Amino acid sequence: MTVREKGYTHWEGELKESRWVWFPLTRLGIKMAFQKRFFKLFYFSTFLPALIFLAGIYISERLEDFRFMLRGSPAFLKITPNYFKIYLSNSLFLFILVLVMIFVGGGLIADDLRFNALQLYFARPLRKIDYVIGKMATLSFFILLLSLVPGVLFILFKLLFAGNLVFLRHYPWLPLAVVGYSLVLTLFFAAYALALSALSRNNRYASLMIFGVYFISDIIFNIFYQNFHHPYLVLLSLKLNLQQVAAGLFGLSPPYAVPWSLSLGVLLGLVFLAFVILQKRIRSVEVVK
Amino acid sequence: MEEIKALELKNVSYAYGRIPALREITLSVDKGPIGLLGPNGAGKSTLLRLLLGFLSLQKGEARVMGYDVAQETRRVRQIVGYMPEDESYIPGIDGVTLTALLGELAGMPRQEAMKRAHDVLFYVGLGESRYRLVDTYSKGMRQRLKLAQALVHDPQLLLLDEPTSGLDPQGREEILALIKDIAAHGVQVLVSSHILPDIEETCQEVIILHQGRLAAQGNLQQLKQLDFSLYELKLKGEAEGFLAKLQQQGCRLEKMEEGFWRLYLPSQLSARVIFKLAVEEKVQIRHFVRSQSRLEDLFAQVVGEEE
Repeated sequence: MTVREKGYTHWEGELKESRWVWFPLTRLGIKMAFQKRFFKLFYFSTFLPALIFLAGIYISERLEDFRFMLRGSPAFLKITPNYFKIYLSNSLFLFILVLVMIFVGGGLIADDLRFNALQLYFARPLRKIDYVIGKMATLSFFILLLSLVPGVLFILFKLLFAGNLVFLRHYPWLPLAVVGYSLVLTLFFAAYALALSALSRNNRYASLMIFGVYFISDIIFNIFYQNFHHPYLVLLSLKLNLQQVAAGLFGLSPPYAVPWSLSLGVLLGLVFLAFVILQKRIRSVEVVK
Repeated sequence: MEEIKALELKNVSYAYGRIPALREITLSVDKGPIGLLGPNGAGKSTLLRLLLGFLSLQKGEARVMGYDVAQETRRVRQIVGYMPEDESYIPGIDGVTLTALLGELAGMPRQEAMKRAHDVLFYVGLGESRYRLVDTYSKGMRQRLKLAQALVHDPQLLLLDEPTSGLDPQGREEILALIKDIAAHGVQVLVSSHILPDIEETCQEVIILHQGRLAAQGNLQQLKQLDFSLYELKLKGEAEGFLAKLQQQGCRLEKMEEGFWRLYLPSQLSARVIFKLAVEEKVQIRHFVRSQSRLEDLFAQVVGEEE
């Protein structure tokens, strides 16, 4: 007898409330990202810079073996906090993160708005904060895998290749800086992408906004900077604010003569704005029209 | 032990800004299936939003299966299954993944949710299509999918918003049969629909809303019998005065085709009044048949009274 023939059957189990109620959303987001065409290829290729930097760490410990390649200028392979800062805040790396946000984040909320999925979610014991955490965790997974994981691995491999803890004794705060900056990147990019995704019901428009706002902020900075040469204009550029904060957290001089805490303030302000947008756009009254 | 009521509302009011959507609704329903009726703007959707906690109560109290909607919203959502009216799905995933995900979000363990998702998809007739992307489903299949996701966590109360909307006659019959079967297996069902035959076919209790007010509520059969009697008349002569006097007595009249009239006679009046007034006004009654009242008649009467 098939299920249908025997009629409706009750489920014998017990429903449970979980603190991790958002986790199925995260798992689904990650799964759906990898189902996208070319995403796997693209995402795995984004680890190439990390592999190159890892090779640099190896070479730095085997300078004698590689001297023939370095042609007498091994200075650039000196592993200092600057090496980590360069990996985590160079323009190409930040551009890669923007592309990941476009791939993964563009439709994350826009699709739910477009296909009225919110009412399905919120008819469950899921709060708005659970929904946002679930979506943010999806993006965080991809960002942390590109930032925190390589950053920590660089430190571990540096110690492993060196065979001692001298490096860590010189820079005991470096792991914290790696974790801290990775969290800044994650919080900023996840909030940024989600807010822009929530502003449109069309994931293409949302993706365009993620791409556009990031680059337009930089273009605006360049236009004004070329005319006025005022360093505080750096606060207009998302990319440069991230680079200023990176320099500050890794104990280096920021590229522009502006306190890096101001850039951090700008980024946190934008994160706050993103949460305001999410609060407004993911409204219960829009759950049922 | 006192039996838990499916729905209990006390003086529930809600307004969108200055526009009132629900006004002082007080009702209590012991058992389903319950039909929720009302013309557009009557407050049906607002009532469903309130029951699910999508909207916060502005005034009054509401309980669903004994749980306070305002205080125990998460518990209410756990025991309620909701089938929305408009097309809703998560794009890019197959039917079984969607159903299992929503079961898991309701609090089911992952593996149990997946197993149950297979069962309910077979139950609603999507067994063969459960691995297809929901984006490729037809409208009828999506309607069944919405029912499946509402059932996956085995709710105590099922809220169905226009469950047969957009279905062909066969699909409609199948969905109605499923609703009856679900109700027969002890799940309380609330069907909000503008298709009166759907309500008549599936529900024993009915709630009629009109302009945000509770226009009528109770057992469908009793409501149809007790509130009024329905007659069909054909008249000859100058009938204006006769019709006006009937209306003064509280009767409601609807003009039909070919000179026929439909008369809703309040339960406190006897049919003799009709003949008495006809004699007074010198009108001939050429046709006089007592009609079996249908839900449409009840609805028209109730809504007409309100207006």
